[in-house]
Amino acid sequence: MTSTLPDFTFEAAPELPGSDRVSHYGVSAVRRIVHQLWDLSIEGVHNIPAEGPAILCPNHLSFCDSVFVPVSLPRRVWAIGKGEYMDDWKTKYIFPAFGMIPVDRSGGEAAQAALDTAARVLDGGHLFMIYPEGTRSRSGNLHKARTGAARLSVRCDAPIIPVGHIGTLDVQPPDQFKMKPGLPVTVRFGEPMHISEFGDPNDPRSVRPFADAVMYEIAQLSGQKYVDTYAGSEDKDDEQPKVETPVIAIPPGRARAPKLVSAAAS
Amino acid sequence: MNIASIIEAHDAGRIAIIDEYDVLTYGELRDWASAIRRLLTEHGVGPDDRVAVPAGNEPAFVAATLGALGVGARVIPMKSTNPLPELDRKLASIRPTIILVGEEASWMHEHTDRIDAPMIDLREVSRTAATSPAIVERNGDDVAIMMLTSGVSGNAKVAMLSHGNLAWAQAAACENSVDGLGPEDVALAALPFSHIFGLNVILLATLRMGGQVVLQRRFDVEGSLELCARYGITLLAGAPPMWRRWSMAEAPNDVFTSVRLAISGAAALPIEVFDEMQRRHGITIEEGYGLTETSPIVTSSRGDAKAASVGRPVDGVEVILVEEDGTPVDRGDAGEIVVRGPGIFKGYFDDDDATHEVLTPDGWFWTGDVGVLDDSDHLYIVDRIKDIIIVSGFNVYPAEVENVLLDHPDVRGAVVVGNAHLDTGETVVAYVSGDLDAAELDLHARANLSRYKCPTKYHLVDDLPVAPTGKKIRRELR
Repeated sequence: MTSTLPDFTFEAAPELPGSDRVSHYGVSAVRRIVHQLWDLSIEGVHNIPAEGPAILCPNHLSFCDSVFVPVSLPRRVWAIGKGEYMDDWKTKYIFPAFGMIPVDRSGGEAAQAALDTAARVLDGGHLFMIYPEGTRSRSGNLHKARTGAARLSVRCDAPIIPVGHIGTLDVQPPDQFKMKPGLPVTVRFGEPMHISEFGDPNDPRSVRPFADAVMYEIAQLSGQKYVDTYAGSEDKDDEQPKVETPVIAIPPGRARAPKLVSAAAS
Repeated sequence: MNIASIIEAHDAGRIAIIDEYDVLTYGELRDWASAIRRLLTEHGVGPDDRVAVPAGNEPAFVAATLGALGVGARVIPMKSTNPLPELDRKLASIRPTIILVGEEASWMHEHTDRIDAPMIDLREVSRTAATSPAIVERNGDDVAIMMLTSGVSGNAKVAMLSHGNLAWAQAAACENSVDGLGPEDVALAALPFSHIFGLNVILLATLRMGGQVVLQRRFDVEGSLELCARYGITLLAGAPPMWRRWSMAEAPNDVFTSVRLAISGAAALPIEVFDEMQRRHGITIEEGYGLTETSPIVTSSRGDAKAASVGRPVDGVEVILVEEDGTPVDRGDAGEIVVRGPGIFKGYFDDDDATHEVLTPDGWFWTGDVGVLDDSDHLYIVDRIKDIIIVSGFNVYPAEVENVLLDHPDVRGAVVVGNAHLDTGETVVAYVSGDLDAAELDLHARANLSRYKCPTKYHLVDDLPVAPTGKKIRRELR
């Protein structure tokens, strides 16, 4: 029931924090184990550039998405993770094997630090993975994108590759530590997308249409229903640091107003 | 305070208003306004009464407005031309105490049978009075102007702007900004005074500073160019269609040499018009963003212009972009523009429901416009929130689709609307004027837009509904 391992090129990238914790052999071993334990189907690998930067944007349903997407790629990929993982013996080797770069998220500059780290990965010509929804979707629907990935794409002149996967929620449902082996998982890579196809890269108004277009492509790949609201913030392990923001009061008569943007989303 | 006082301190001999048929000094304008005060007082008009002034951009409008404000009344500027059913609706919503009719609106005297309020013909009013009541003191929160905002929204509403609102916005346009207006400025008033931009930013702000206002009763390109040259216009303001025509006009290259402040407002200025004015005439058009309900100043690009941006919030104005639930969006993301500041109106006259749909108790005004703020606080307008088309849950901004269609060399105009659709909720439908067929348009759209944004139907039409300000009237196509 095992699937075929894609050809794999190991990029050492010693300049990236945590990358020296694993070797070519370590990464290859993890990839082999995952491919032996699950029935993994991979589609669209040809859409991954053989070299140069690209941002992988998968849907996010389960913690184990961070396992299945990396092992489906022909190249090494990096992503941001909590700095605390590097202090725990259970995670300090295995997470970097999957490309996690630790970022201290305790300070006020955490978001900027994460963004700068991501830019470093891309500017070095590597692949970077970010969940555009910002956090796991508890509803199963595909939620509205945060703009981080799209803005990173502009900043680093790197294409976004939409990724849709199916089956990871069954492998590891919410709040379960263990991954159930033997189940089918499908990972699909879409065609690279550039912001210039959606507007002037220098015009900030191009960012939202680009982010929306990426979600549209992910929805086609994952088969999820799209809802135009952000994914819930109830998850404890949000991928993006939270900043407390004041909420502006809604005009008291607004309930009687015509339907607004997301209220009308089907 | 009373904004009727803005002309009081200026030298009596200075020229205030220039018209095709008239030149008024500040002294003459004060006399005329005080004669109006006396007339209105004799008719029993006082504080908070409603005085409608249907007129063109004519000297009598200026005197009538300042005179009516001077007795503490609320002024409702009205267009000089209104189809009768529209006039009926407007008068029903404002219920004026009295109507001061300008020369350009003199046709209204033939319809006394359908107009309840007493009408006074401003042509027959004396321009001087031996004695006159003093200007009535008002509080900053007292309503000064009631603006009809029927515009493109379809539902006539009357926005109440206070003396404090208007005075603040005039100051923001003049004293508080880099290279603002001064007494040496000469403004061309080609924008209608029934629009807040023409009324407060051009007419009243210039008078406040003791400058000259050159009136153009009806806009035409050649006439305005001649006025520019003859009077050495320094402040030239217009809506995008006016700027387009100025940029394309067969005019000598030096016709705009005296212009030092060029302002566009009321709708988004096409970048090619901006470029053409800069290339041909060396004029950098400043863009601002504002609404009737904000008196109208919210942002200005003065001294700090970025392509396609309407500038940064002016001092004292807070701008936040929010989600539907009031949560601020991430920096750089699109959200509804919500504004708080000294220019925010006092609500819609006699329409608490409409007021409560847009105004919060702590003073935030929800504009209904979608925008983006960049890292340096420059605002970019995306679209009207109610124009957004929702296809399978995805937002489609009509402006984005229209701009793609307009990029096709054979397309002259394009308006996009949403039509109901069983499967996707809504679907995009395009109305296009130009010399091409639907198949060609579809190919162009598919090459440049995500699939869900591509129009599913094209209607080729001769003309598209566009308001004089340049705003597209989508409701006529839905």
